[in-house]
Amino acid sequence: MRSEQEFRDQLRSWIRSKSGEGETAALTDGTALFEERYLRSVHLPELLLLLERLCGEPIDVEELSPRDFRSIDAMVRRYARSGVAS
Amino acid sequence: MSTSQARKARLAEALASLGPTVERLSRLSQRSYQNPYTAVEWPAEVRPEEEWFGSPEYLSLYGTEFWERLDEAARRRLAFHEAANFYSLNIHGEKGLMQGLAERLYRKDLLDVAGYLHHFLDEENKHSIYFGGFCTRYAKVYRSRQFSFEESRDERPRDVEDFLFFTRTMIFEEIVDHYNLVQSRDSRLHPVARFINHNHHFEESRHLVFGRRLVAALWESCSPSWDGGTVAGVRDHLRQFFTTSWREYYNPDVYADAGLDEPWETAERAWLAPAQREHRRRVSRKVTTFLLSGGILDKEPVDAF
Ligand SMILES: [Fe+2]
Ligand SMILES: [Fe+2]
Repeated sequence: MRSEQEFRDQLRSWIRSKSGEGETAALTDGTALFEERYLRSVHLPELLLLLERLCGEPIDVEELSPRDFRSIDAMVRRYARSGVAS
Repeated sequence: MSTSQARKARLAEALASLGPTVERLSRLSQRSYQNPYTAVEWPAEVRPEEEWFGSPEYLSLYGTEFWERLDEAARRRLAFHEAANFYSLNIHGEKGLMQGLAERLYRKDLLDVAGYLHHFLDEENKHSIYFGGFCTRYAKVYRSRQFSFEESRDERPRDVEDFLFFTRTMIFEEIVDHYNLVQSRDSRLHPVARFINHNHHFEESRHLVFGRRLVAALWESCSPSWDGGTVAGVRDHLRQFFTTSWREYYNPDVYADAGLDEPWETAERAWLAPAQREHRRRVSRKVTTFLLSGGILDKEPVDAF
């Protein structure tokens, strides 16, 4: 079982690895990841796989809401609850 | 002449230079026009634990800690589910490809290649019928993790979008083709698996010729007018596309079906295993060499390896 902190840390370090170093200086858990271009469409399948691994459950793309991917906070709210004890 | 007129003129010239290739490929496509409903004799049933459906050396756990723990039957079962996954990722890739081809069919500036786009589109649909035929009869179509939403989509000029579409197609098809070729020659494989791989390789050889010519032509005619930021964005996108594509070969859903514990951790560890990283680099080499030698990429997509 992953703690909420571990969930956040793993997401943050993955996002950092995907965007250039300079740009990530201002990254916070509330940053709008797609609007501010930290991530793009081409990153989504890998992000989904990471989220599934962190919560230990499959996530159905047909039932996704873009809102849940807006920021690290949004992903934690939506996905850190179901399978993760905090 | 304005920049955009100059670009249009260069594109027209580049596409015109493809003329003889496109005509030859179209003739070949007409000659080997297929009926996917009669071309295969599907056996009533298959025995996943007794026959090989994929080459063991090309399985995603080969050379990892997990491989040693699997007995012969479990390895064959993994090969069977992984074959269904390989066919499924082809179906999902071809779905996106058909969309992109249909969108470009009879576009004014691509009129020179419209005849061939018809073949391309027709053939991809047929490939998916073969892949789907196997999956729905004996296994299942594994789900795709591809999706996008408004904020994630990039607003790009049309020439950049065209270039990325055809280059992604080429990367996807080159990787698949490596598996197809190896498995079409592997006499250990079940005849149906060999047929599907052989047939796809035979068909794709035309798409690969077309893809290489078109990608080079688009790069030469369009990229001189792109600024540094655009070129960097194109390169980032393509490098990430290698990772996105390769990740699909390590599907936790497959590991779950093959009876392995902790499917997501298994996927992650297999992805990081040195033997698998080397495998991805080797299988990608033909297309990375093409992209690097043409100056399209300036460095290897190391994150994918
Ligand atoms: Fe195909
Ligand atoms: Fe193809």
